Amino acid sequence: MNNVVANAEQEPLVRIRNLSKVFGSTYAVDNISLDIEEKGFFSLLGSSGCGKTTLLRMLAGFETPTEGRIFIDGKDVTDLPPYERQVNMMFQSYALFPHMTVADNIAYGLKQERMARPGRDERVREMLSLVQIEKLGHRKPHQLSGGQRQRVALARALAKLPKILLLDEPLGALDRKLREQTQFELVNLQERLGITFIVVTHDQEEAMTMSSRIALMREGRIEQVDSPQRMYEFPQSRYAANFIGNVNLFDGVVTSQSGDQVLVDSEEAGGQLCVRHSQPMTVGMPITVAVRPEKIRMVQAGDDLPNQMQGVIREIAYLGDESIYHVELASGKRVKYTQPNVQALAELPLTWGQTIALGWHADRCGLLAQ
Amino acid sequence: MTGYGGGAGALAGLRARWRRLTVGRWLVTGIPWLWLVIFFCLPFLFILKISLSEPALAQPPYLNWIRETADGLVSIVVNFGNYGLLWDDSLYVSALFGSLQVAAISTLLCLLIGYPMAYAIARAPTHLRMPLLMLVILPFWTSFLIRIYAWMGILNTNGILNNFLLWLGVIEQPLEIMHTSLAVYIGVTYAYLPFMILPLYATLSRLDPVLLEAAADLGARPAKQFLTITWPQSVPGVIAGAMLVFIPVMGEFVIPDLLGGPDSLMLGKLMWTEFFNNRDWPVASALAAVLLVVLIIPFLLLRHYESRAEANGEEAA
Amino acid sequence: MKKVACGLARVIAWFTVRATGLVFAGSALNAAAQGSVNVYNWSDYIADDTISNFQSRTGISVSYDVYDSNEVLETRMLAGRSGYDLVVPTARPFADRHVRAGLYQPLDKSLLDNYGNLDPVILQSLADIDPGNQYLLPYMWGTTGIGYNVDKVKEILGDDMPLDTWRLVFDPEIVSRLSACGVSLMDDATEVFVAARAYRGLPTDDYSSAAAQEAADVVAAARPYIRYFHSSSYISDLANGDLCVAHGYSGDVLQARDRANEADNGVNIAYAAPAEGAVVWTDVFAIPVDAPNVANAHAFLNYIMEPEVIAGVSNYVAYANANSASVSLVDDVVRNDPGIYPPAATQERFIVLQTPSDSQIRSMNRLWTRVKTGR
Repeated sequence: MNNVVANAEQEPLVRIRNLSKVFGSTYAVDNISLDIEEKGFFSLLGSSGCGKTTLLRMLAGFETPTEGRIFIDGKDVTDLPPYERQVNMMFQSYALFPHMTVADNIAYGLKQERMARPGRDERVREMLSLVQIEKLGHRKPHQLSGGQRQRVALARALAKLPKILLLDEPLGALDRKLREQTQFELVNLQERLGITFIVVTHDQEEAMTMSSRIALMREGRIEQVDSPQRMYEFPQSRYAANFIGNVNLFDGVVTSQSGDQVLVDSEEAGGQLCVRHSQPMTVGMPITVAVRPEKIRMVQAGDDLPNQMQGVIREIAYLGDESIYHVELASGKRVKYTQPNVQALAELPLTWGQTIALGWHADRCGLLAQ
Repeated sequence: MTGYGGGAGALAGLRARWRRLTVGRWLVTGIPWLWLVIFFCLPFLFILKISLSEPALAQPPYLNWIRETADGLVSIVVNFGNYGLLWDDSLYVSALFGSLQVAAISTLLCLLIGYPMAYAIARAPTHLRMPLLMLVILPFWTSFLIRIYAWMGILNTNGILNNFLLWLGVIEQPLEIMHTSLAVYIGVTYAYLPFMILPLYATLSRLDPVLLEAAADLGARPAKQFLTITWPQSVPGVIAGAMLVFIPVMGEFVIPDLLGGPDSLMLGKLMWTEFFNNRDWPVASALAAVLLVVLIIPFLLLRHYESRAEANGEEAA
Repeated sequence: MKKVACGLARVIAWFTVRATGLVFAGSALNAAAQGSVNVYNWSDYIADDTISNFQSRTGISVSYDVYDSNEVLETRMLAGRSGYDLVVPTARPFADRHVRAGLYQPLDKSLLDNYGNLDPVILQSLADIDPGNQYLLPYMWGTTGIGYNVDKVKEILGDDMPLDTWRLVFDPEIVSRLSACGVSLMDDATEVFVAARAYRGLPTDDYSSAAAQEAADVVAAARPYIRYFHSSSYISDLANGDLCVAHGYSGDVLQARDRANEADNGVNIAYAAPAEGAVVWTDVFAIPVDAPNVANAHAFLNYIMEPEVIAGVSNYVAYANANSASVSLVDDVVRNDPGIYPPAATQERFIVLQTPSDSQIRSMNRLWTRVKTGR
């Protein structure tokens, strides 16, 4: 017992080693190694076809890996069939059993492990109230709304209190309003139950809102694994920077480094850019400077911003809470810059064709390898 | 109940729309009803009429209910004796049970063979499903009678099967299959198998395979998955297939006549005897009417329970 | 009385008829257009050139349909409006009943020049069911007896056992020995009960329920050894060697014999009219009351009564005809076959079927169903 506890401290809940899955001649999952810690809300994020769902299905046991191993709780589960894994899944289509009532759907997993009747009924009641559909236990799935079905699917997957809950696009079928509300409920649920959630999603906002950690996937590989904040602030590749949020990228060459200041000469930016960066860089190395639109601001008199440039406003996208300005530099490069709409419409100071000066601090941008 | 405040004009408009809707609905549902009346109800009424008349040596060989007597009076004679005869003579009851037995066993055999076949086709790769279904339907392109004659050639004492088994050395004496109930079951199961497979395929192919994954995920082993997910959902197909096999086999005449032995007593054969050998159209009609009632009662009961289950569901919603 | 088991045969027959109809449609143009005649006859019961010759000679086109049981014909006649001009029922009990039910119209003998060719003895034998021979015109006649596989039966029963006896199908001691080899009875209550009574030496004109019960007891004793009851399946089964002894029509058994000979499969079939008495029957032509082409029907009948024509039919179908003028024209093989033209001694013991009453038919058929199914 002690041994197990001791192990648990160093052993992640899920350990994936060199996992690959080949369909025909294409690698859906290509040599992935990944650790997932206990009690977190872990997202597999990526566009469609990136292999995130295949990875999830291998965790559930629906696909057999072509190569590599999967360990859950230190135990090799690679060859275990789905019905022998301590893992439950909430399906994208919900996969509710149409011929059973809601209560029978939820009780299904419990019946499989031969839980006695009184305990089973009690657990079903708990689950119904957990997802706030206490009164729907006797209904059939076709008599429920989309949101209610989603809750039943969730309750059913949670009923066995699995170590890990896999969720395949859990909010994909809901409309926007419901989705935002449900995001928080899912997070609360995860925190209350202490079950590890592994969620597949293509929606970066959803991943950012819910996750404690995100694994960004691309073409069967993992691009970056990080917390949402770090993923946003410190993307490690152009792909990651582009996938999550908006970003302006300036290609250039490292000209000098002094202390934690790196100077980059960028034709696109129309001059030198100054970036705070502590890792040693090679002078003459091609590099990309990344800066988020909301990190840029308009230069005011007396501002001491190391990175400054001038441009003409070409397009304005009004989003209500903020506006995005597309500013064309002398090099022809367009820079995106957002500004919260503090003032009312009539008093907007900026308009098309206007020339403005933009700038940002050295510690508000990052460097990406080209 | 609160709608009365809404003004008479709006209400009238609603009514007119409702009326238009019902006219359209009548047209759509009217055609099958018309079909049912012309090709089912009317013939059945004829049969019912004949079953209540008396046989006669004439053309047609029964007497009308309404007759003019010699002194110019009109008399109506309805004869319920034919039904009495069916009840009194144990032959008809045992023929009914004989038919029920053959129909029940054949339906079961069709289900046991047809279910795995339908399942395999429904789970086959998409491009193979149509060809496989065509193979199931293909025998229909040959005359039913010729196919049964082919079975006679296979099952005969000197037939293909016996010669093959003798050649293999599996048996030393030819097997007596032809003219036994086994031959009837083989023939009936063969002939009606497609009627079982097609509705089963229809329900099984609609079954979402993700449901099986969900069941596996929740801890159900393959056998349990089948029993709790696949089977319950295929029950409508099973019922449809069972009806399509059971009902015609109840009245089957050709297969037991050609393949069966002397001891196979079925309603179809008895009806033939009444109609052709005894020239007793009234008794034959009474038999047909009884057979129809016997077949239609379970069907109506099923409908009744189904609609009640549906009503329950609606109520809950 | 002819029965052909196979629906296939019917299909083929239909095609042949249609084909000949096509061929001779051309030559019919030469003759004056004379309308048509619709004939409904037993399958395989006419020579292959009879119809085409008639068409080319008279210009009357023949629409020819076939059936394979008296019951089917009877049901169509009783239902009425069959559209046929000529039908061929068996005289007893069918045509007898039909005449009494008023299904047929009287023959116009002024249109039948060849009527005198008919055998007066046969006409006389029909007089009790058709007084004055008004409605029925005899066509062919034959017997119901026993067909057997000569080699196999002799192998089982020995060479000394006489085979022209009903014991082959009714004596439990003998049937049980033949059982494995295959014994069949016709599925016809009247035929079987009369034969059973002949086997027991009982009067064969008694159709009372007591008499039927006596016959049923005979059948019941042999039933465990009977492979099946069918009125036509035995033709192919005898020919293939699947059956050793069959109760059946003379012509059908001879047809099985010929088939076996053609197939050269070593199966040797023979027909025997039992010494206890074989059932003799006559098939007759009749014109339905509602026949649309009465004149043409008479033309066809007159043509059929020509000695050359009817002799040709006998040669083809291996049945004796009712036309005395044709006997000399019938092939020797047919005429000298005791199965087709039985010797006088056999003829003396022929059993003529009577027409049972409806209630007798019902009780016989009921009894028959019980015996067959062993209930």
